[in-house]
Amino acid sequence: MGRFSRSFPGAPCRDAGRIVESTGVATVTADQVPSLTGWRNYVRNLWRWREFGWFLAMGNLKARNASTSLGLVWWMLNPLIMAAVYFLVFGLILGGRRGEPQFIAWLLSGVFAFNYTATAMTSGANSILSNSRLLVNIRFPRLILPISAVIETGVGFLMSIAVYYLIVWPADGVSPGITLLWLPVAAALHTVFNLGLAGWTARLAIPFRDINNLIPHLTRLWLYLSPIIWPLTFLQDRGGPVEDLAVLNPMYGILSFYRMALMGRDLDTAAFVLAILWTLVIGVGGILSFVRHEGNMVRHL
Amino acid sequence: MTVPRAQPAIKASRIGVSYRAYLDRASTFRRVVARRRLRQTTTVVALDDVSFEVEWGETMGLVGDNGAGKSTLLRVIARTMRPDAGSVTVNGETSTLLQLGAGFNHELSGRRNVYLSGLAHGLARVEVSRLFDDIVAYAELGEAIDRPIKSYSSGMVSRLAFSISIHLLPDILLLDEVLAVGDAGFRKKSQAAMRELLGQGGAVMVASHVLSGMAEMCDRVLWLERGRIRDLGPAETVIEAYGRASPSVPR
Repeated sequence: MGRFSRSFPGAPCRDAGRIVESTGVATVTADQVPSLTGWRNYVRNLWRWREFGWFLAMGNLKARNASTSLGLVWWMLNPLIMAAVYFLVFGLILGGRRGEPQFIAWLLSGVFAFNYTATAMTSGANSILSNSRLLVNIRFPRLILPISAVIETGVGFLMSIAVYYLIVWPADGVSPGITLLWLPVAAALHTVFNLGLAGWTARLAIPFRDINNLIPHLTRLWLYLSPIIWPLTFLQDRGGPVEDLAVLNPMYGILSFYRMALMGRDLDTAAFVLAILWTLVIGVGGILSFVRHEGNMVRHL
Repeated sequence: MTVPRAQPAIKASRIGVSYRAYLDRASTFRRVVARRRLRQTTTVVALDDVSFEVEWGETMGLVGDNGAGKSTLLRVIARTMRPDAGSVTVNGETSTLLQLGAGFNHELSGRRNVYLSGLAHGLARVEVSRLFDDIVAYAELGEAIDRPIKSYSSGMVSRLAFSISIHLLPDILLLDEVLAVGDAGFRKKSQAAMRELLGQGGAVMVASHVLSGMAEMCDRVLWLERGRIRDLGPAETVIEAYGRASPSVPR
């Protein structure tokens, strides 16, 4: 044989404590547990399947608006309209701008960044279910599906950042400065966090389809609990335990980081350290949990 | 040589798979009050204590009624599904053709689906591009490759699916219910391709509940009945026994 020289894909497996799939030989047993060397294998396989993930993400991006008459313009128009709606409701009607001199820049940085997380959760939950035919038939590292979903959402987020300055420069006088160099770091941290969330929702949505009904409510609640539609002074006026508890929200640190990068604000160090911890717990934890359970996914489809 | 030929192509020992399925019984007030869980579930045993080996150069047939566990067994061998019990050792690269064009996105064009399948099998984009013309030519699709799959006839879908699978140059080819479709010409062509694969020392596993052609194609046949092995032996013997036991099976 030997027409194929590459090693085997898929979940790392341990057979009597020893990896058996390095030479094109793979044993699948009922009680396989990913081991440390298995993880290295898994990462190598993710890298091998990278073009698959990219192809899926780009295909979905193009397909999303392929049949609309405005086509790709929607990628700019969607964040613009979203911005207009939020400004109308929370800036003008509810008067949220009190206490925040650059309210539009504040609001939009929050809305766009939060939307990345919310969409990653939704599309992560759908990533396994909508590709069930591929999962059933072909063996590949399953994590590539939520990764692809997050890449797809992340590209949309980057486009909304471009739109961001088009609005806030004339409106609030916020222009890109030297702090913008922090944006890739903020986006990287945020992406790991989102990937973990997508991993959790993807993994839970398979046995419990009910998740899809819950996610919109959870994300809306989370949006209201985060400093997006209200300025920080809103809670500072209140003080006490409410303010202390609010900082536990991982969005606090993530948004503070973005606002340092985009608006040149001071970084809330405590919240930022907490956000890194959250990224380790939710982000990395979600990824590990997903991979640990990926062998059982097909059974529930 | 990456594959140790001393080993069989596939070695399955005591595989067991069970699913949990929701019961959809009519709710009466008493049942709603009485049950402890939110929804009642029942355990469906798909495979139970299934052991066999497939040698290199061999074609193993898989017969059985609907629900006997044929597809589940192929999924376990394709390693898209982990068994609850037992283990499967597969000594080579598998290419799967489980069901007719399953794995295709029917909204996308044939072209994009070729890339999707190839990339999902772990090929790089340039590798798929190199195979692309051969895949389309073998499937006899011509211009239709740029039309969405949903506009294809079932014969076109199965031709494309088979063409992709065989061009991925697998060591082990797994086929599920795909050979009953397609015209006589393509069937002849696909069987020649399979013989070539076997001649190079590969192995084939083919599941079908249509018996015609199975005896000629397979060396041995495994007969599954409600997840258990009912019989395993020379193709003609087992197929004849299965045909006798299930008179309604198309042949």
